[in-house]
Amino acid sequence: MNNNYLIVAENIGYKINENKLFHNLSFDVAEGEALHICGDNGSGKSTLIRIILGITKQTKGNIKNNSSHGITYLGHKNAIKNYLTLEDNILLMELNDKEELNKYIEILNLRKYMDVIAANLSFGQQKKLALLRIFLNNSDLIILDEPFVGLDIETQDILSEFLNNQLKMNKSIIYTSHISCQIESKILKIN
Amino acid sequence: MKIIRLEFLKLKKKTRTWLGPVLVFWLMMIAYPLTVEFLQEKLEVGFFSVLWIAILISMMLATEDIFLEDFNDGTLEQIMIKTSSFSTLVSVKILTYWIFVGIPISILSFIFSFGTTEDLALSLMIFPLSIISSYIFLNLFVMGNALSLNKGSVLGALVTMPLALPVLIVLGKSIIAIQLSINYLGFIFLLLGCLSIIIVTVPLVVSYIIKAHLE
Repeated sequence: MNNNYLIVAENIGYKINENKLFHNLSFDVAEGEALHICGDNGSGKSTLIRIILGITKQTKGNIKNNSSHGITYLGHKNAIKNYLTLEDNILLMELNDKEELNKYIEILNLRKYMDVIAANLSFGQQKKLALLRIFLNNSDLIILDEPFVGLDIETQDILSEFLNNQLKMNKSIIYTSHISCQIESKILKIN
Repeated sequence: MKIIRLEFLKLKKKTRTWLGPVLVFWLMMIAYPLTVEFLQEKLEVGFFSVLWIAILISMMLATEDIFLEDFNDGTLEQIMIKTSSFSTLVSVKILTYWIFVGIPISILSFIFSFGTTEDLALSLMIFPLSIISSYIFLNLFVMGNALSLNKGSVLGALVTMPLALPVLIVLGKSIIAIQLSINYLGFIFLLLGCLSIIIVTVPLVVSYIIKAHLE
């Protein structure tokens, strides 16, 4: 059993005013493991993701982040600048591996849109652009909030395959998804 | 250096954000002589008051959406989870806005001052005052905008406006000092002293405020 846990959460709780969103959640994510956070709309999946990221503070419990190479995150907001071209947006992402970058630009079929203003791209194309941040990550923990939303089947498969490869490379993944995907994961259900 | 380059790239493409305040300043300075008689002495009487207020308003306009776009599109979240310092980003943003808005306005201040007073020495002394005061105002309004990040920029401007009043007083006194040829440098150092405190504290305070908003 792998004991190198990247995330260890004990009795996590979060409430807004007096309404408990979730309480007493305990889970851990080891190296090379994936955690799929499931739950209905409004159950607090995105809030839990933000707690793991350290953006939002839990109202109860402890969470420990042991990742040494940082976190790569893709949420509902994809940090795309609508007034910049796709090429300029890539520049802002500070992706250093040019060879890998060119590879994924080709795979995602983004090359022909390099000079197009991001506002003129479809939601799916914008999502593909945001995925470059994930594909070229250098971190040991990848956190994704509904990563498959807006993607065509082909891109969903590319993403699933990529994430499975990342697991083989001993990286860890935490994600939420309503779309079934081919990633071997532990499941954390929030009611 | 990379973060400065990237902020430059973003602001360069947002022409309305930096050109708008510069044009507003230019229009205010053009409009001023139309409201008074064209006798030079009368123009000079109120010119500097209008100049400082025009700089103040332009800086307020410049900071209107300084963090809003990054807040709405998730850029601030990405920065927050990175290890890089949040306050460094704030400092770089302020510096970039100042280069795009503050410096052109300061150059225009010199030109309008020379055009109105026909006094090169006086106008050259106005230039550093404009440079420093624009940076101070920018910092103050950035703090106001961070406070009212998702509540509209007017509220933020109202909160921080009282902090700008002492600077306006110093600017007014420094003009008197120039005209009487007394201790002009003292006022410059006073403003620089204020700026040195603001330049350190505002990015720290703003980074805490933004983190609170994100939470």
